[in-house]
Amino acid sequence: MSIQEKVEEYKQTLALFPNPQEKYQYLIEQAKKSEDFPTELRIDEFKVNGCQSQVWLVPEEKDNKLYFKSDSDALIAKGLVTLISSIYSDEAPKDIVNSEIDLMEEFELGVILSPARRNGAFSMLKTIKEFSQKLAN
Amino acid sequence: MIKVSDLKKDFPIFDREINGKRLTYLDSGATSQKPNSVINEMTNVYTNMNANVHRGTYVLSSETTAKYEEVRDKLKNFINAYSSDEIIFAKGCTEGFNFLANSICKDLNAGDEIILSEIEHHANIIPWQMAAAKYNLKINYVNVSESFELDFDHLESLLNKNTKVVSIVGESNISGMLPDIKKINSLVKDKTDAVYIVDGAQLVPHRKIDVQDLGIDFLCVSGHKMLGPTGIGVVWGRKELLENLDPVYGGGDMIEEVFYDTATWAPIPHKFEAGTPPYVEAIGLGAAVDYLSNLDMNNVQKHSDDLREYAKNKLGNIDGLNIIHTNSKLAGCTFAMSLDGIHAADVSLMLDTFGVAVRAGHHCVQPFHRKLNLDSTFRATGYIYNDEEDFDILYNALEESIKLLT
Repeated sequence: MSIQEKVEEYKQTLALFPNPQEKYQYLIEQAKKSEDFPTELRIDEFKVNGCQSQVWLVPEEKDNKLYFKSDSDALIAKGLVTLISSIYSDEAPKDIVNSEIDLMEEFELGVILSPARRNGAFSMLKTIKEFSQKLAN
Repeated sequence: MIKVSDLKKDFPIFDREINGKRLTYLDSGATSQKPNSVINEMTNVYTNMNANVHRGTYVLSSETTAKYEEVRDKLKNFINAYSSDEIIFAKGCTEGFNFLANSICKDLNAGDEIILSEIEHHANIIPWQMAAAKYNLKINYVNVSESFELDFDHLESLLNKNTKVVSIVGESNISGMLPDIKKINSLVKDKTDAVYIVDGAQLVPHRKIDVQDLGIDFLCVSGHKMLGPTGIGVVWGRKELLENLDPVYGGGDMIEEVFYDTATWAPIPHKFEAGTPPYVEAIGLGAAVDYLSNLDMNNVQKHSDDLREYAKNKLGNIDGLNIIHTNSKLAGCTFAMSLDGIHAADVSLMLDTFGVAVRAGHHCVQPFHRKLNLDSTFRATGYIYNDEEDFDILYNALEESIKLLT
């Protein structure tokens, strides 16, 4: 599935929940369902700056594609980073770099996806793009 | 007596709904809401009399200047300063501490000592750290006990002939701690020739302050935490101390005479106020001072004490809730909290869905959070427009949030 298709699918799912509380509950479910994150990867090297909670993002390259493992010590942030990781995993670095989807606008996740440059979600996306840019070069 | 239901009508923000719920604003420790009188006064200046202050020889400028300078008199009365010239406008407490640290420390000798406490806001740590590094000074931190109180024995043991600055919070933005300012002052004055600075960011909005009675040397005040606009605050200092301090910022308005190779300074307060001051914000702060003075700070203080008592008992009933709050008879209505196994950021996001505004993080008091082994807490603070119902709503929303997050 392309990045665009995955975003569309999540967008439709999130639209089923009209209020922020239900959206947060959906993210919490995603966090609880996410694959285990090895504790030894909870290190500064993989830490995403700018989040209210601690967030870790670990990129892996396999057959010219990128895969992301992620974790957070807060549930809602973990749900969000799980969702973002799944959108950009199994994709070619150049496709990630070239993707110009504005998740902030698409997902309407209220305060957790406000388009502030110091916002946690902004930093997660920036980190993913930076990893991809390095590999695309 | 403050009747919150009547008073709330003065604050237009409370007409808003958040996520379909009434706004329960419990983040006044970060910034207070503004009454119509402040908003209208600032609009009035821009609408009817806007002109740069000082030296404008026309009606608008003289009206604005008069209104701006009148705010110094209001603040003088509000904190019972000796003179209006002791009221120095600054952007807020942060700028106030940066000014004091830079100006005071430049005249100290290497090895001189500064005393802060373990529970200071970063605004009262970083400027001193920067100055200490520049002038080779030493910073000592007074212990804060397990019950979140200042350890006076430790303070006494730290005071010595090298101590030149003691700068301690007047009301903690974490634990509500209200250290005995008079007691600190007499210890400092008995044992040292240091200046004693009080961080009044949380103190001045909530309690009646009389700087002459307290005997302190400097006080930093934040305007936006006491119903005023952002970008304006006050450094109060004793006249004789201010007269001996050098300015930190140079520019227009702070000079007497300027030559190509040198300049002389204007008398206080203007020698510390370089450039066009935020005069509209200052006039807004004047309206805020009027509002609080009309309420009477004795009533504001009693309201804070009563609400603190109610909130402390109410929140104490929640299982698993750790409250970083002093047990002292008197404290500010400020409660930093954590829940075992639930992240503060999750709690605050969930509370927001109930219309409850609290803050999550280290509240600019990171070293003390580290001491408590906490990454972050969520914090509820009450002010004049909060009542028991707000803490009932917080209580219920917290119980619901805990269910949703476990």
